[in-house]
Amino acid sequence: MKKILLWLLVMLIGISMLTAFSLVGCKTTTTTTTAAAETTAAAETTKAEGTTTTAATASSEKVSLKGVTIKAAFIGGANYEEMYKAIPKFEEETGAKVEIVFKGDGFQIDKKLKTDFAAGTVDYDVCWDHSSFFTQYIDAGGIIPLEDYWTNEELSDFIPMILDSGKKDGHLWIIPRHFDISALHYRTDIFGDPDIQAKFKKETDTDLKVPETWDEFQKTALGLQKILPAGMYATEFAGKEEALTGRFYEILTSGGGQFFDKSWKPAFNSDAGVKAATMLRNLYKAGAMPPGMTNFVWEDVAKNFASGNIAMYTEWYGWYSYFQDPKSSKVAGKFDLARQPMGEGNIYGGWAGQHAFSITKASKNIPAAVALIKFLTNYDQQYNESKLGFLVTRNSVWDKMIEEAKASTDPLAAKRLELAKLQASEDFRTPPLVAQWLPSSDILYPVLQAIILSDKEPKAGLDEAAVAVDKLMHEAGYY
Amino acid sequence: MSEIVYNSFLEKNNKNHKFVMNESKYLPASLLLPAVILILFVVAIPMIYSLYLSFTNFTLIKSTGYKFIGINNYITLFRDPIFWRSFANTLIYITIAVNVEFLLGLVIANMMSHVIRGQGILRTIMMMPMMFAPILVGFQFKWVFNDQVGLINNILYSITGHPVIIPWLIQKPLGFIAIIIAEIWMSTPFMVIIFLAGIMSIPQELFEAADIDGASEWHKFCYITIPSISPFIYIAMAIRSLDIAKAYDLVSIITGGGPAHRTELIWTYVYRLAFTSQKFALGSSMSFITVLLSFAFTFYLFRNLLKARKI
Repeated sequence: MKKILLWLLVMLIGISMLTAFSLVGCKTTTTTTTAAAETTAAAETTKAEGTTTTAATASSEKVSLKGVTIKAAFIGGANYEEMYKAIPKFEEETGAKVEIVFKGDGFQIDKKLKTDFAAGTVDYDVCWDHSSFFTQYIDAGGIIPLEDYWTNEELSDFIPMILDSGKKDGHLWIIPRHFDISALHYRTDIFGDPDIQAKFKKETDTDLKVPETWDEFQKTALGLQKILPAGMYATEFAGKEEALTGRFYEILTSGGGQFFDKSWKPAFNSDAGVKAATMLRNLYKAGAMPPGMTNFVWEDVAKNFASGNIAMYTEWYGWYSYFQDPKSSKVAGKFDLARQPMGEGNIYGGWAGQHAFSITKASKNIPAAVALIKFLTNYDQQYNESKLGFLVTRNSVWDKMIEEAKASTDPLAAKRLELAKLQASEDFRTPPLVAQWLPSSDILYPVLQAIILSDKEPKAGLDEAAVAVDKLMHEAGYY
Repeated sequence: MSEIVYNSFLEKNNKNHKFVMNESKYLPASLLLPAVILILFVVAIPMIYSLYLSFTNFTLIKSTGYKFIGINNYITLFRDPIFWRSFANTLIYITIAVNVEFLLGLVIANMMSHVIRGQGILRTIMMMPMMFAPILVGFQFKWVFNDQVGLINNILYSITGHPVIIPWLIQKPLGFIAIIIAEIWMSTPFMVIIFLAGIMSIPQELFEAADIDGASEWHKFCYITIPSISPFIYIAMAIRSLDIAKAYDLVSIITGGGPAHRTELIWTYVYRLAFTSQKFALGSSMSFITVLLSFAFTFYLFRNLLKARKI
């Protein structure tokens, strides 16, 4: 009996191992299939040259997609989902059916896309995408180039710097939905208070003014901290994950530094990098930032500012309506905006990103997916999104937004939009368009935290991170 | 004639008997077979595949064209100081949390066993922390330990009369203590319930005999209660150790393993490696090291459990 059971067990393990290795084989088959799909997609793209005009004009000419089901993986969350309420209109116009198979926040979708692309389990045509993430999906072979499906005329309305941030290797991979960039948010009741101004002058021997450079930013923050009441802080930064790396990247590049050099070797441990990291450490050490900042992400920093605990900091425009709502914010009507400080490289800070749409390589009906994206990024949808406070990506919508804002009772409404448009046109800077951006960030941000908390010296810490990122890039085949 | 008939009957019956014997031999195995196959498909195959991946350079964004690299991932891990740090942190986390939960569980269960009226209500209240999802507990304790609006700093402010800003989740070793406290709050009731069940199963005659002998409460606790519930103790501690060794969601919400890896545990680091850093194969290697250690730990605990049962 024992022998039989033993044999049975050996056989089962054998079968399971065979199945496991055949799964590996399946992976290869999937690869072949994917390659075949790629060929098909390419063929379709070539074929589409002729039909591009049809696809390209889908949004305006209302193509018939009767019986077609378009599956999508989209970003979720209150304001992001408002757009999806317009989808029934698209269904009515085209006869297609849109099925949203997944909704989650940006990081949840990123994880889903990466795992689906790796496992070959993509069952959707359109996916949410982001300028910080899309290069990963190119490397994973998950998305297709889009330039053949949009005419130059159709693309001409998008803000060029934003559209360009979705290009890599000569191809357009994402169609922009809306973008965000940061501006310096400062409290007018603090910067305009004669008493505080006098105390600041006495303490620092300089006038209190809104900083225009990162050096001024640091000096102003250190000076202000000495005169602010207990529990208030001169400034703050998001202190972990990509939020921290991104802010570091912004200060680094405005100071003339680079994250990677031309041969993709890490270059953030340059003098500009050390200066940026030292500034963050000095501000923390002097108590000019909340002690818990290394555990802050976007919501935390925004809540702190809205609670009235912060004098100035750099923040995304997306939070504007939250700050101006007296129900949620103590600083409503008490703050103003300025262009991001400039670094020694005479470059304004401009870390930016765009939410966008892509088409998966596994899409069963590319023209239908194109039609859906065109509908979701057309003038009407963008205008509706602008009403929700998003910074949209079409110039024509911006003109209308600014015109309407001038008639608004909110004194900041027009200024905010004009400043955001100026920044979008001149300062818009995405993280390096390379799939290793997030893994590099994952190496760097704990080191930046250690520098901020004085566990490591700035130069030594950045050198250590640079070695690890160098290894990462080497393993990824960059050199 | 009748003898021939009788012998033939015996022979036939014997055959049937043999058949029944054989059937009874194979019956358990054949009944278990579907379950065994199912478990192999659900557990063994993914594990074997994952083990295979741990010997490759598979990444989430380069899922094709990956190659076999032998034990390179394991060597990389053994040379990685953060791996050792997360490993040490997890051991400390398990040791402190399980032992404190054990002591608190034992004291509370012993006290509850003496309650005659309302024990049911007490048991229900006691179990409430267990009903919360770890993610909710994480958010709750993130707020409790928040340096600006958190409960503890506000209590300290009320007591001292001036702002107290202690960065609980940042400073060494406060961040670590904070996540241990959250873990203890959430899981001590489990220990209480198991120990209470153990205490209630001890025959009352033992205590009555001890009373006649003039034993004190302390002596009864040390010499009757503890030895009698030792199998329960081993089971509860084994379950909790393995459970805490898998800790991810609670820590991920409260500190995210940071700052600067100060509260990094094995599974927060595995997640970071596999998904954020895209090094799926490296994450698999680390998972396997952990799983093997968990097996060893379980084996050790169950061996002690068997010993305790023999006593």
